[in-house]
Amino acid sequence: MFSKRDLSVEIQSQIHILRPSIHARRANISVKFQDLYGFTVEGNVDDANILNEVREKVREQGRVWWGLEASKGANWYLQTHVTSALKSSLKFSALVNGITLKKLIRKGIPPVLRPKVWFSLSGAAKKKSTVPDTYYNDLIIAVEGKVTPATKQIDHDLPRTFPGHPWLDTPEGHASLRRVLVAYSFRDSDVGYCQGLNYVAALLLLVMKTEEDAFWMLAVLLENVLVNDCYSNNLSGCHVEQRVFKDLLKKKCPSVYGHLEGLEFDVSLVATEWFLCLFSKSLPSETSLRVWDVLFYEGAKVLLKMALAIFKMKEEELLTANHVGDVINIIQNTTHHLFDPDELLTVAFDKLGFMTTNISKERKKQEPAVMAELDERLRRLNSGS
Amino acid sequence: MATTGHNNLNAKLVLLGDMGAGKSSLVLRFVKGQFLEFQESTIGAAFFSQTLAVNDATVKFEIWDTAGQERYHSLAPMYYRGAAAAIIVFDITSADSFTRAKKWVQELQKQGNPNMVMALAGNKADLEDKRKVTAEEARAYADENGLFFMETSAKTAANVNDIFHEIAKRLPRAQPTQNPAGMVLVDRPAEGTRAASCCS
Repeated sequence: MFSKRDLSVEIQSQIHILRPSIHARRANISVKFQDLYGFTVEGNVDDANILNEVREKVREQGRVWWGLEASKGANWYLQTHVTSALKSSLKFSALVNGITLKKLIRKGIPPVLRPKVWFSLSGAAKKKSTVPDTYYNDLIIAVEGKVTPATKQIDHDLPRTFPGHPWLDTPEGHASLRRVLVAYSFRDSDVGYCQGLNYVAALLLLVMKTEEDAFWMLAVLLENVLVNDCYSNNLSGCHVEQRVFKDLLKKKCPSVYGHLEGLEFDVSLVATEWFLCLFSKSLPSETSLRVWDVLFYEGAKVLLKMALAIFKMKEEELLTANHVGDVINIIQNTTHHLFDPDELLTVAFDKLGFMTTNISKERKKQEPAVMAELDERLRRLNSGS
Repeated sequence: MATTGHNNLNAKLVLLGDMGAGKSSLVLRFVKGQFLEFQESTIGAAFFSQTLAVNDATVKFEIWDTAGQERYHSLAPMYYRGAAAAIIVFDITSADSFTRAKKWVQELQKQGNPNMVMALAGNKADLEDKRKVTAEEARAYADENGLFFMETSAKTAANVNDIFHEIAKRLPRAQPTQNPAGMVLVDRPAEGTRAASCCS
């Protein structure tokens, strides 16, 4: 894998040229630079400055985490599960840790600690511990050379996954991504391979650094963190989430919802990609990963909150849109330039107001309607004309 | 001043076809004049707009470029609903992609807007030595089913602008030119013009 230090040195030197002394009127000049995870970003000088500030905040956040490790002991965050078991045991220190941790995670996990913290808190470590140590290696050896529809599609998508990335788009990167996706396609043949997972797995590889850990993160994500059937056969889980999202938007941003309905703009037109790629294709990398920090700790409802927040942030602007194209442009401009993760997370967690909706109940409610709709469609397609 | 308004047309266009057939590449070539050897795989769909001048009118295409993988099929109605035109894309080097294209045609015939202008694009025409679907076969199919057919290459740009241009020309004009009283007619001006070209 590429050396992270090399990357950051390169970023440092490139960003250095763009330090704030540059005249404000040059803010419209578009510049290309590499971000923390090696992605090429195109933005203006302001964007580059924001990225600089974000890097500083990330460093500060690192100091906070190291401080906590020093005072509470390494792996302190493992004794925090805010579950009913905890409540009954009334272990006060664990409860305090739990509250601290939730807040802390919403402020971001430092990139160096991400692999360790994600692996424990998501449940990936536990999942891995239930099978023999050699599971992943045995799996990739067992499936080597096998050709299935899934492997063909994976091969097709390898060079089309974040093309141009300095590590992902190399023979080594392709091979790593291939092994993770192919291994998973055999682990769960209902899912097999679904387009979108290529981006998710790629970003997991960049963060986790080892293929095996990326594999287990992918497994816990699909099997425990996300809603069921998000990626399998007809994406029914994704359809359910879209309906839940629409209802939430109607409650939280009624005027935008009404306006978009008037334009015949279905919010799924933009939100489908968000939910299937977990924002990795839409948001700058550090912002995506900040969303994932919370996703792995708080669960799939986080995706709904982020989607809501994006609409909420642009409420006024969206109300002036007259065409579907305007709406898409507003939304994409917003997501592509969200270099400051806090801008998004603050709205998602502090400005949406109390969530009165019970999301799991809402999902249950939508499921039959989605199934009926998908069945009906299939029936009509298969009937003679 | 009124005439410019009358001659401006907004048209929703959807691209459908097997994964890797080159849907995104065709759009990228048409909208930006670019070609990438490896185009990011599309998830859900991507949106583009592009305006074309045809004769005395301009057509603003609102283009939905959809994901090709089979399981994304269930999302497709959202994109082709209300579409004025569709380009069904296959890869001339893949017989499977041609089979899949035919399925899309059937689906649009059953579920799509009945006045939809449909084009069949045999893409990757530059890869002649790997060809698996002949132009004759595709053209015969297109003729039988009321589509027009072109072989395109997003890589060399061959026929790319042409296929969009041809669609623009075939779009039913919403406003009959002679309606001086400004009377609002029931929206069925397209029937007469389409009947000649689509029914065999």
